[in-house]
Amino acid sequence: MKYYCPATNSELLDLTTHLQGDEYSILAGGTDIVPRIKMGKPLPQHVIDIKKLIDLDGVQISGTEVSIGALTSVEDIRNNEILKRHLASLTQAAEQFAGVQIRHRATIGGNICNASPAGDLLPGLYAADAEVSILSKDGIRRQSIREFILAPEKTTLKPGELLYNIHLPITGRNSMFYKLGLRQSMAISVVNLAISWESSSTGAIHFSLTSGSVAPTVVYLKHFADAVNSSPRDLDTFLPLIDKDISPITDIRATSDYRRQVLKNIVRHELKTILEAPVV
Amino acid sequence: MTTELFDLEVSVNGETIQKQIPTHLMLVDFLRDVLDLTGTKEVCGEGECGACTVFLDGLTVDSCLIFAVETHGSQIATIEGIADDETISRLQQAFIDHHSVQCGYCIPGMILSGEHILKENPYPSQSEVISAFAGNICRCTGYHKILDAVEYAHREDHS
Repeated sequence: MKYYCPATNSELLDLTTHLQGDEYSILAGGTDIVPRIKMGKPLPQHVIDIKKLIDLDGVQISGTEVSIGALTSVEDIRNNEILKRHLASLTQAAEQFAGVQIRHRATIGGNICNASPAGDLLPGLYAADAEVSILSKDGIRRQSIREFILAPEKTTLKPGELLYNIHLPITGRNSMFYKLGLRQSMAISVVNLAISWESSSTGAIHFSLTSGSVAPTVVYLKHFADAVNSSPRDLDTFLPLIDKDISPITDIRATSDYRRQVLKNIVRHELKTILEAPVV
Repeated sequence: MTTELFDLEVSVNGETIQKQIPTHLMLVDFLRDVLDLTGTKEVCGEGECGACTVFLDGLTVDSCLIFAVETHGSQIATIEGIADDETISRLQQAFIDHHSVQCGYCIPGMILSGEHILKENPYPSQSEVISAFAGNICRCTGYHKILDAVEYAHREDHS
């Protein structure tokens, strides 16, 4: 395993160009890649550690959006005041993410590029219509996160490209995150859910719902959301529409049927809580 | 496969160390096998149990999930660096006073996680302590006494 630790973006891009054709792995926090190597995945021939690229770390407001550097740790996301205000679903997901030792290392860019169906930071990012920017020799390209993630462990990232920043439009919408795991901490989600909504003088309106661990990628519960947005009071009768947007599998954590049922239970409970909250 | 080597320079418990190491050596193995600092334990090897917890640049991390080369230029503190030759830390004394140790294997990791939360908040609530220890497993299941020691480390006199 050859180890590289570029200090600047141009050094990184020179390196990935130079290594083109060879197999290399980008190393950020290492909390996904290292366990996989230990479980039998061969050591990569080349490892490029990107942790020294300091301009990839941190959260800031730029114009009408919040941008999050790809190397921002999950622990920093959890404690970030800007994100608590603009995307509570993300900080709530970070709150329940593994344990503190993992949160100190794991990065938001890694969670996105790993593209796990159960990635806990993802539903909140989908619900916020987040975009990612991707750096390469040709400059920066931008793509919505729902187009960037293709399938488990598959993104549109090509050799020579690096996930650089995550962008969240500032919309004033509220959001929340719910995770069902087999225990409270250190658990991979059986299902997870993010809800975003607008506050109006009459209460919560215009819901958007996204769920993970119920399909190969995070999905929008679009059929259900459309129905509930036209008639929130009838949400119970619309719950079967959730089945149209999900395709859960049976695995070691739960059966497909259980995931279908429990997601409906969670959606009903969380939406009722939001709808019944006093109007401020 | 040929073993690639790397000239590592790192500060461990305040001492600057220079060693040539294989690039694929894990931090926990570097500490235990190269530096003979065997206080840090490895149990699960996949970041679930926290027995291998050390401080890396002031933050607790699982040393079984980190290549030693990643720590080049960094500062590491292990359980051996928590006490000096004469005195033990307040938290270590609280572990003794609360009889928090059974087999002892998880304890170095528990102490480091405890020192971390106490550094941020000397008077944590019980629920804050519990959530701070999500990444540490004790298979003797002696959690109550461990968590009590952390909660009361600064609330009691451990002189």
